[in-house]
Amino acid sequence: MHEVKMNRKKDKGFESPRPFKLTHQVVCINNINFQRKSVIGFVELTIFPTVVNLNRIKLNSKQCRIYRVRVNDLEAPFIYNDPTLEVCHHESKQRNLNYFSSAYTAAVSAVDPDAGHGELVIKVPSELWKQGDEMNVLKVYIEFSLDQPKGGLHFVVPDVEGSMAERGAHVFSFGYQNSTRFWFPCVDSYSELCTWKLEFTVDASMVAVSCGDLVETVYTHDMRKKTFHYVLPIPTAASNISLSVGPFEILVDPYMHEVTHFCLPQLLPLLKHSMSYLHEIFEFYEEILTCRYPYSCFKTVFVDEAYVQVSSYASMSIFSTNLLHSAMIIDQTPLTRQCLAQALAQQFFGCFISRMSWADEWVLKGISGYIYGLYLKKTFGVNQYRHWIKEELDKMVEYELKMGGVLLHPTFGGGKDKDNPTPHLHFSIKHPHTLSWKYYKMFQCKAHLVMRLIENRISMEFMLQVFNKLLSLASTASSQKYQSHMWSQMLVSTHSFLKSISNVSGKDIGPLIKQWVDQSAVVKFFGSFAFNRKRNVLELEIRQDYTSSGTQKYVGPIKVTVQELDGSFNHTLQIEENSLKHDIPCHSKSRRNKKKKIPLMNGEEVDMDLSAMDADSPLLWIRIDPDMSILRKVEFEQADFMWQYQLRYERDVVAQEESILALEKFPTPASRLALTDILEQDQCFYKVRQGACFCLAKIANSMMSTWTGPPAMKSLFTRMFCCKSCPNIVKTNTFISFQSYFLQKTMPVAMAQLRDIQNLCPKDVLNFILDLIKYNDNRKNKFSDNYYRAELIDALTNSLTPAISISNEVRTVDNLNGDVRLILEEITRSLNMEKLLPSYRNTITVSCLRAIRMLQKNGHIPSDPSLFKSYAEYGHFVDVRVAALEAVVDYTRVDRSSVELQWLLNMVQNDPAHYIRHKILSMLGKNPPFTKAAESPLCNEALVDQLWKLMNSGTSHDWRLRCDAVNLYYTLFGLTRPSCLPLPELGLVLNLKEKKAVLNPTIKPEQGLDTTEMTGNTMGVHIPVMGFTSSLDEGLITMETVSSVSMSSGVAPPPQGLKRKLDSVVGPLGSSSPEPGQVLQEEDTSKKFKIRFNTVEEDEIDMESPHDSQAFIHHHLNILERPSTPGKEPPAVDQAVLSLPVTPLPSSFGKESTSSSKHSGDHHHHHHHHEHKKKKKKKHKHKHKHKHESKDKERDSHAFSNSPASGRSVRSPSMSD
Amino acid sequence: MRESRSGCGKATSSPAENYQLARRRTLQVVVSSLLTECGFESAEKATVESLTEMIQSYISEVGRCAKAYCEHTARITPTLSDAVVTLNEMGFNVDTLPGYAKRSQRMVITAPPVTNAPVIPKALIAGQKRTHPSHIPSHFPEFPDPHTYIKTPTFREPVSDYQVVREKAASQRRDVERALTRFMAKTGETQSLFKDDVTAFPLIAERPSSIPYLSALLPSELELQTLEETDSSEQDDQTDSENTPDDPGADKENSVLLAGGVVPSVKVSEENMIDNPYLRPVKKPKVRRKK
Repeated sequence: MHEVKMNRKKDKGFESPRPFKLTHQVVCINNINFQRKSVIGFVELTIFPTVVNLNRIKLNSKQCRIYRVRVNDLEAPFIYNDPTLEVCHHESKQRNLNYFSSAYTAAVSAVDPDAGHGELVIKVPSELWKQGDEMNVLKVYIEFSLDQPKGGLHFVVPDVEGSMAERGAHVFSFGYQNSTRFWFPCVDSYSELCTWKLEFTVDASMVAVSCGDLVETVYTHDMRKKTFHYVLPIPTAASNISLSVGPFEILVDPYMHEVTHFCLPQLLPLLKHSMSYLHEIFEFYEEILTCRYPYSCFKTVFVDEAYVQVSSYASMSIFSTNLLHSAMIIDQTPLTRQCLAQALAQQFFGCFISRMSWADEWVLKGISGYIYGLYLKKTFGVNQYRHWIKEELDKMVEYELKMGGVLLHPTFGGGKDKDNPTPHLHFSIKHPHTLSWKYYKMFQCKAHLVMRLIENRISMEFMLQVFNKLLSLASTASSQKYQSHMWSQMLVSTHSFLKSISNVSGKDIGPLIKQWVDQSAVVKFFGSFAFNRKRNVLELEIRQDYTSSGTQKYVGPIKVTVQELDGSFNHTLQIEENSLKHDIPCHSKSRRNKKKKIPLMNGEEVDMDLSAMDADSPLLWIRIDPDMSILRKVEFEQADFMWQYQLRYERDVVAQEESILALEKFPTPASRLALTDILEQDQCFYKVRQGACFCLAKIANSMMSTWTGPPAMKSLFTRMFCCKSCPNIVKTNTFISFQSYFLQKTMPVAMAQLRDIQNLCPKDVLNFILDLIKYNDNRKNKFSDNYYRAELIDALTNSLTPAISISNEVRTVDNLNGDVRLILEEITRSLNMEKLLPSYRNTITVSCLRAIRMLQKNGHIPSDPSLFKSYAEYGHFVDVRVAALEAVVDYTRVDRSSVELQWLLNMVQNDPAHYIRHKILSMLGKNPPFTKAAESPLCNEALVDQLWKLMNSGTSHDWRLRCDAVNLYYTLFGLTRPSCLPLPELGLVLNLKEKKAVLNPTIKPEQGLDTTEMTGNTMGVHIPVMGFTSSLDEGLITMETVSSVSMSSGVAPPPQGLKRKLDSVVGPLGSSSPEPGQVLQEEDTSKKFKIRFNTVEEDEIDMESPHDSQAFIHHHLNILERPSTPGKEPPAVDQAVLSLPVTPLPSSFGKESTSSSKHSGDHHHHHHHHEHKKKKKKKHKHKHKHKHESKDKERDSHAFSNSPASGRSVRSPSMSD
Repeated sequence: MRESRSGCGKATSSPAENYQLARRRTLQVVVSSLLTECGFESAEKATVESLTEMIQSYISEVGRCAKAYCEHTARITPTLSDAVVTLNEMGFNVDTLPGYAKRSQRMVITAPPVTNAPVIPKALIAGQKRTHPSHIPSHFPEFPDPHTYIKTPTFREPVSDYQVVREKAASQRRDVERALTRFMAKTGETQSLFKDDVTAFPLIAERPSSIPYLSALLPSELELQTLEETDSSEQDDQTDSENTPDDPGADKENSVLLAGGVVPSVKVSEENMIDNPYLRPVKKPKVRRKK
């Protein structure tokens, strides 16, 4: 205990939620079967108890089948319960999202490792209890297997001839946040660090890449396999451990021999090229952080069907193979380098330095995003960097204004619902696993933007010093032994980070943190001004909107830059509570000295044509918060000529982009001229010029009647890219100047947006684009033109306008419009050529599919999803699939097709590629077939049930997917009970929480509505269940041990729906009748719900108390019938041969405990339940004589007749109703 | 002689043959008279025939050679000088000819009987024959038909106009592509955009691949080929003014991206020294431990 206290003292605030400390873990996977997609192995955790009498160890494990657990070589009984498998069990008719979200949060909390919980509870054999006093080491040994894992590990096994290695079969770990528990039992928390020994036995033709140093590779005795031994001496969280196995080609980095790259067979040339730049990223980070890369080696692995493009783990990163490219590809090159840079930044902050809790995640994401930004600035230039910052800021602001705020550092006061810091969201932000994916992306975005704000405040030098300090502390700590209790220095927390900042910089950034970190939402400014000629003063008015959703009030300094005739001047204004107007004295008189050059902010002096300006005012343009040092949206009003001056002469790309956006509203010849000038200026940043193209197209459309000369951009394009001798023919491609290349790609796309008076794309423009396609010649080019050609197809798509439909005639070939015929011919030919000569990433196919959908949508060709459906099938390149799926999603919405919706949802459930599943749901969310606001024939009860089932139990293997499903449900049905459901029998009930009467959200359970989810459980023989008596006063544990019976059907997956019996809580509801008391009862229950969560958080799970009648009976039976010692474990059989199926016992104590009597103090009713549950139920039945009486009876009878464990798993589906 | 005549008589039908026979008869007379001149009183028929043959060959050779000389100088009718050169070439001293012609004992031979000269089929007259320019004496042969000397190329000269070349290359490529894709579409499975007419705008049916990323990521052979070609002809490109970028400064920025393209060539010896755990040999298993 002394040690423990010391430990905590030294840890400076970090307190482990666990009664033990993990120091070392061995993971040994000794069989990976690609054919059956199964994995067998064991783990051994070395733990130090930190309390006397450590009797239970809670670990995380999902979907693993656990065969045996031993603690210090003694068989240990265990319980395996995963409440997230099925979130809501009982109330099959409960369909409101509020209910689901709170239940889901409760389920995740119940097994949250950061709170010390876990799915796997191991009872420490009593023989070892005394050792607790002596603080001896416990070694927890767990044998497990995975069979066709749906999450955590992904097998890619191409269906071709040959051995697994020849087929390019591979497997890799993946997950969103801490998801390691999906593939081996561990403490799946970012804050529980330990050292690692990892062993993987794989086929001799394969390579196993994992974290840490490869110590040796040894053949097995039959020489057909080899074992890779890895050691990771740096304390690392389990969540940062990964694995990938495959017939990888190996490339040792030519610049850094400790860095090794792995790719799938045949891709080595691409790997060589793509990785040739990595050393520069290494050098950059090491230089700015003045710290060496923390691990002794680094590995990059490129895999197919990756979950995300980039995922970083300790000393290795897993990338999507689609990032690889050859030297001929232009567009992918910067993207791939950015991904590499992100991965490497996360190696320092995220892998090496881990976080204390979820609330501290923003620090890691912020720092890694921030240093990645510095890399961008250095490599791609300041323009690109500022453009990126603006883009990120706009994206985030838009999201916050739409969805409500993003909160970086949530604090939860005691876990009460009332304290929910983000009531505007339809999900909880308490856990990473309950977050919407989009929210998480915006969270990361905001995190790095806030880091930039901190930098603005304390200077970059101090910022880097802080990072260096964090890293050096961590690296000192990492080399220490566990006993020194230094490891927690490797964890960053918001507190420690802020403390570091104040130590290093001496500045107080409290208000900044409070505003942007502890508080969600952004600022929305409206600015306007007037020039007072008499006083020579600029009267600036800055108003704020802080009442609409996602906004907050800003008080503090704001920078305003005023460009006057005499120069550019910065002013810092104070935004205060009630002051809207600010007077800014002007430096220049409004004189006209035409010969004088005008000095700009950057010291440059330029000649300007001042004729456009207001003669009385010296103001050229005004910018509010030009450095983006507030997370804000600014809507500023100034005259069109001011925007034009700003576009032409302000050198900051952000200002240029802002003025382009503003000029859309001023379709005048002057705007046209300004935009054209920018387009022609090759010193101008190419993205600004690209933006100018689209703006020019919009202006041209607004000026349609007065437009003179050829269509916008046409002569410009001709001058820049066509032959001088024959202006209608484009030059042969060289793409030597990338700026020109990007402009050449963009201009036709923008031009195609032009419309004439009939609202058609002008004939000139269409022919021009068709000529570009016709004369495109890439033979002399050393770069591929696939992206360019794809954009030309996009241009054709853009030129399409709705067909003139005389009647609802069927679209036929004959009545195809002539222009459309030409377009269609190009598309057909391009798409067909792709089959013969596929382009990089099939960009052209992607564009063609989009074009075809657009043709359908505009009524030129018959609307038909079958083509897209065939392209969306598994076996096409992922980009093609996504494009095709997007078309199907769009078709589903436009044609309100339930067949296609079903087809999509089916794919969400069955597609092998996780990314595709995620993508379908997010596309459906973005382009929903209907919304909660509108009526639709698609909206029906079956769909509600299907989606409910999907998020309730169908997506338990993938956090991200489940949250996607929740999002979609929200988009379609909203938070409350879907309107398409029949009204419940109970009319109105009182919702005391919201103090109003609402429709009863529940409905009487119906009999026979049996969801036969349990059919997956094909095991014929059931498992001997043992119990043991606890010597403590907690009562009994139902337990589950291994069945050693080997059977052919043993590969059956564990039952996915671990049905729980929430009878105790909802029982009375189920049989509710329209009595006045009933309403009360419901209220009561909902309160109980809350308590349930409390209990889970506050205390360890009270798993022993009997929560419902059945459990109670089971326990008793167990005691009577089963030996209490777990020693009677059947002998372990060779794992390689036998699969040992285990059904995790659906004991589900996590939630049941919530209704435990311990917390019944304030809830009389609750209490009552426990003691008299069984009776009460009967009473109910008796009273109301409900139709499900028979079922209840059945339930009871089961309790007595069946073997407890089997009885449970078999019956549970029916019981869930 | 009669016999020979009769021998040939049967065949004499065409005027051309008659003409030749008459000539030959004259030659025989010449041979006979020469023999008489030399003092022979009689000669065997065969001898006369042989000698006739020889003289005919000689004359033919003189004619052929003279013709060759004349054609060599781009004329069509031999002149005297052609004949002289020919005779000289054949080893005949021309100077002796006048003396020989004036010898006393020479015999005068009657002119061969007039026979119709064979009708030479009229050559196609194309165009107007040119008259002699003033510096050519009128006795020189006429100009031949214009078509015999005016150049009429049988192939077209390659078009060098840039626009036409581009136009042609583009339409050629398009035709090839269209034909190829049509062929593929006709011979394989297709998908259609229209229900009423499945043959309009046929799309080659997509075919799922087991390893879709390979074809999507690896450059096609065609592209690789192009890459090799452009690498070798890179220098040409830069001199091509039509295609040089307007912005010379751009190259500098681009080089940032391109710099990574070249992997340093690690020497073989150096590579052997790389100590990377993945390159180390796999160890043999240790002796099995007791379990």
